[in-house]
Amino acid sequence: MAVDIPKSFEELPTSAPRHIGRGRRRIEDPALLTGRTQFIDDVELPRMLHCAILRSPFAHARITGIDTQEAEALPGVVAIVTGEDALRWSHPAQSSPEGWGTHCLATDAVRYVGEPVAAVAAISRYVAEDAMELITVEYDPLDVVADPAAAMKADSPLVHAGQGTNVMMDRVFTWGEVEQAFEKADCVVSEEFRWNRMGANPTETFGCICEWDPLDLSLTIRGSIQSPSMFGLGRAATFALPSNKVNIISQPHGGSFGGKGGTRGTDVTCLLSRKADGRPVKWIEDRVEYLTAGGSQAWDRYYSASIAVRNDGIVTGLRVALVDDLGATGEAYGAICAAKPLAAFTGPYTIPVAEYDLKLVATNKVPSGPYRGMGPPPHFFVLEQLMDLAARQLGIDPAEFRRKNFIPKDAFPYMIPSGNEYDSGDYEEVLNQALALADYPALRSAQAEARKEGRLVGIGVASAIEPGVFDWNAYAIVGMPGTGVPEGATVSIDIMGFITVRVGFSLEGQGQYTLVSQLVSDYFGTDPEMVRVVYLDTQSAPPSFGPGGSRLGVAITGAVLGACDRIRTKASQVVAGLMQTEPENIVLRDGQFGIPGVPEAQMSVAEVAGTMLARSDLLPPDVDPRPEATHVWTAAGRTPADEEGRAKSYLTAAQAVHVVQVEIDRETGFVEIQRYCLADDCGTRLNPATVEGQTDGSVAQGIGAALLEEYSFDSDGQPQTTTFMDYLMPTVYEVPTVEKVAVVTPSPFTPLGAKGCGEGAIHTTPAAVLCAINDALAPLGQMAREVPAAPKRLWDLIRLAEDTSAEGSRTG
Amino acid sequence: MKPAPFEYAAPPTLDEALAILSENDPDEVKILAGGQSLMPLLNMRLARPELLLDLTRIDELGGISARNGGLSIGALATKRDVEDSALVRERNPLFMESTIMIGHPQIRNRGTVGGSMVQADPAAEYPAVAVALGAELVARGPGGERVIEADDFFITYLTTSLEPGEILTEVRIPDLAAGTGWSIQELARRHGDFAIVGAVAMLRLESGICVDLRVVIFGASDRARRHSEAEALLAGERPSAALFDAAGRAVGQSLEDPTDDVHASAEYRRDLARVLCVRTLTEAVERAEGSGG
Repeated sequence: MAVDIPKSFEELPTSAPRHIGRGRRRIEDPALLTGRTQFIDDVELPRMLHCAILRSPFAHARITGIDTQEAEALPGVVAIVTGEDALRWSHPAQSSPEGWGTHCLATDAVRYVGEPVAAVAAISRYVAEDAMELITVEYDPLDVVADPAAAMKADSPLVHAGQGTNVMMDRVFTWGEVEQAFEKADCVVSEEFRWNRMGANPTETFGCICEWDPLDLSLTIRGSIQSPSMFGLGRAATFALPSNKVNIISQPHGGSFGGKGGTRGTDVTCLLSRKADGRPVKWIEDRVEYLTAGGSQAWDRYYSASIAVRNDGIVTGLRVALVDDLGATGEAYGAICAAKPLAAFTGPYTIPVAEYDLKLVATNKVPSGPYRGMGPPPHFFVLEQLMDLAARQLGIDPAEFRRKNFIPKDAFPYMIPSGNEYDSGDYEEVLNQALALADYPALRSAQAEARKEGRLVGIGVASAIEPGVFDWNAYAIVGMPGTGVPEGATVSIDIMGFITVRVGFSLEGQGQYTLVSQLVSDYFGTDPEMVRVVYLDTQSAPPSFGPGGSRLGVAITGAVLGACDRIRTKASQVVAGLMQTEPENIVLRDGQFGIPGVPEAQMSVAEVAGTMLARSDLLPPDVDPRPEATHVWTAAGRTPADEEGRAKSYLTAAQAVHVVQVEIDRETGFVEIQRYCLADDCGTRLNPATVEGQTDGSVAQGIGAALLEEYSFDSDGQPQTTTFMDYLMPTVYEVPTVEKVAVVTPSPFTPLGAKGCGEGAIHTTPAAVLCAINDALAPLGQMAREVPAAPKRLWDLIRLAEDTSAEGSRTG
Repeated sequence: MKPAPFEYAAPPTLDEALAILSENDPDEVKILAGGQSLMPLLNMRLARPELLLDLTRIDELGGISARNGGLSIGALATKRDVEDSALVRERNPLFMESTIMIGHPQIRNRGTVGGSMVQADPAAEYPAVAVALGAELVARGPGGERVIEADDFFITYLTTSLEPGEILTEVRIPDLAAGTGWSIQELARRHGDFAIVGAVAMLRLESGICVDLRVVIFGASDRARRHSEAEALLAGERPSAALFDAAGRAVGQSLEDPTDDVHASAEYRRDLARVLCVRTLTEAVERAEGSGG
């Protein structure tokens, strides 16, 4: 049965005005706003215990002894687990580069501060924490390596003695005649950059309740879990269980942004439940645990990069060397952040050849994991600074320099050198809209005035690509082969004509349930309030990956519209039978099945569903009598990666241009963002209010990255930023009002022409803010090469310039 | 992040609170007011008292009133009480301004004036303003009532001259003398954060000559301190940009042992202290001129 999924709003079987494409109030919000949404910490189960995890105070040490006797004797303590239990009942993490994973509890040595060493299950978290203090661990401290450059040296301490090296991967990928391009270039711009560790900080930390069934030998895990099916497969591997013996129940969660890793804590909690004879055990990660050793930290990177440029301003080659510090194990898929840039390596530009020299390095720090954007935001920060350097060197305006190098709109679909194909775009129009919104010429003349007064005012114009709808093949170079990421939905119409949609992902904040109700109501011509969206656990749900990789909006649209179309086909057979005609004569339009142009030959969706459910005696014999269907949507046309990692990976390529004006306080180094304008094109906007919300949040996170957020460590690997007093999230005071304008170039490859937009602005914001800062610093002959551009760093640069000029005036 | 076990007492009167304090080892008692600093310390088990003595039911420790050319602020008055007080707004705009700079509304709703003084965080606004204004801190203990000058009250990081067994009951804030120009400014990474460096400047102009100078730097070292060298440079002089710069340099040079942490190096703090000294003096003079003094 062919399934027909509309490629535009106009192909939907309803007439305008439609619910889709408009900013609808979210059906998720009443429960969220009244506090009735059930998050994991709201869940109480009978006989439930509470877990506290004892963590290593050392970045590197051998464990020579653990004594839990005193803790076990404390009233209220039910079970304690250590590395011995992990060895007996579990396997090392599968989510690290192969061979680098460790058990969830340290078995022989600790490799980062905060690594779990033991855990207690007790009648309350209070008692569990009291007991934790009674456990004695003997450590024999080892030499620490907390810096990847040091870790790559031959005489470095080894994070994993058995590996013989700290280098997890060292490879150069070459796409095209790169050497030739650099030899022939009129000008080569090279620079080094540092992106400090930062990452996701959702309102809710990770939490779970794990329940081992000692008779069935199965696990039930409730938690604030972003990708339940993959999480379940991971736990099955860790505990060597058949995959049908692990059931994952994803509770609504308070954001994720990739920071809901939680696999170690979950595995520890599962061990505790097993040791406590199957009593459910709850673990709620607290904020200090999260900031010290949670799934929050990402992108600890050193870059060295160059572009080759012709005198006419055309960029002819790109070289990027990245040393990516993955921390102790690289678990929780941290490595794929280094691979994803392949999906948009050359950004929005026609750069024909490129090279990627990639080193993944282990150090004695908490493993670095995923974060919104999954790796490209630092890559674009680097690329955009190089573009500005080249423009400055050639005397070309940075906006015009980008315009010269944009992929033209008639060149799509466009294959980039690293192998991915961009679906569509009109980058020049996006640039024009952004410049017009900002009144760019006026910004430049105001800047010229300010400069005369010696003020450090800068304007950044940056552009980046947001790869959308991920595929595993994008990560093939770090050992994640395979293609295909499914999303399924089951749509059922009941006897009264009300519609239920069953999905495999829970609430995370992006408003996908609202989107589902918009789609279904537009398909069947009903009111969105007649549509109910229900979450199913992994043992019940249709195949689902859930949110991630800017995919769910596009994927669930495909799944829901596919399921609706399957129902339409079935219902058309039923109606054709009743009307004694052929199914191909039956058309669904505005909620009525019937023969076009024949008013008496029409049946409402509710009538058809009621007939199917109540009068199977009237149905054609070969028709499934349920007005229900499941469809599983997967991005088509994805290809396996070749030996250089090239693959058609992400299905869509959204693009944006941000224009930012900043002023740096010359005396203090503090940065004020004075203007923030952006234009973006993520194809058809299914719910413009949701897109705007995603953009606002992503700009905020990008500003955090550019100016504030940094996990710092001392040379002993001790974390220095373990509370929100030291790890600085942007607040409403630090994030300016963002002026936005939309350009819509539908994707030719997706349901309704929508592109992935969930990760969005963070791809461009850090680049744009740093371009503006560096534009402000340019008259001083200085450049910020380090993110975040904290005031102390800018103050150092300004002092350096003033010292140099004082020096110059003394000697000159 | 759950506290270690502790006993809890919440007496309704100050006398009962003092009695409880005297019956216990004072090192094992923590006094709870607004809890904005103490609760996180308890939850992180960095504070592990045997007894938590909660003062929040003692009505006599609240309230704000006028008293002998100044304000009498009960130790348990919240920052929100100060923020909402017409009396404070009228009598001491500097104290009002410093209040609004503290944290966020949620913090000011619970945090108390006395709690901030006793916590003696070197980057907090209240101790700095207390030193600048020459506030008096009133304590009750087994030996009765004691009045302590602000400059003698704050010793160093998180340390005051309160004796074991004493409870801070009242903060007395002198009114600003007529014609006083004042300024409080701070640099923090984000709105509402503890200051990396802050400065308070106060002065009057008599026939265009600077008198009654106060220059206080906070957040830069172990406690808020007056900088008498800077004050002396300006005293008896006509204000000028060159003098402000000289005062700023004096502050930068005389700053002892500046704090060095993830947000700012010692050298950077020293320079920011210089910058803020200049900026607050400039603003204070503008205000003094504006007041016609």
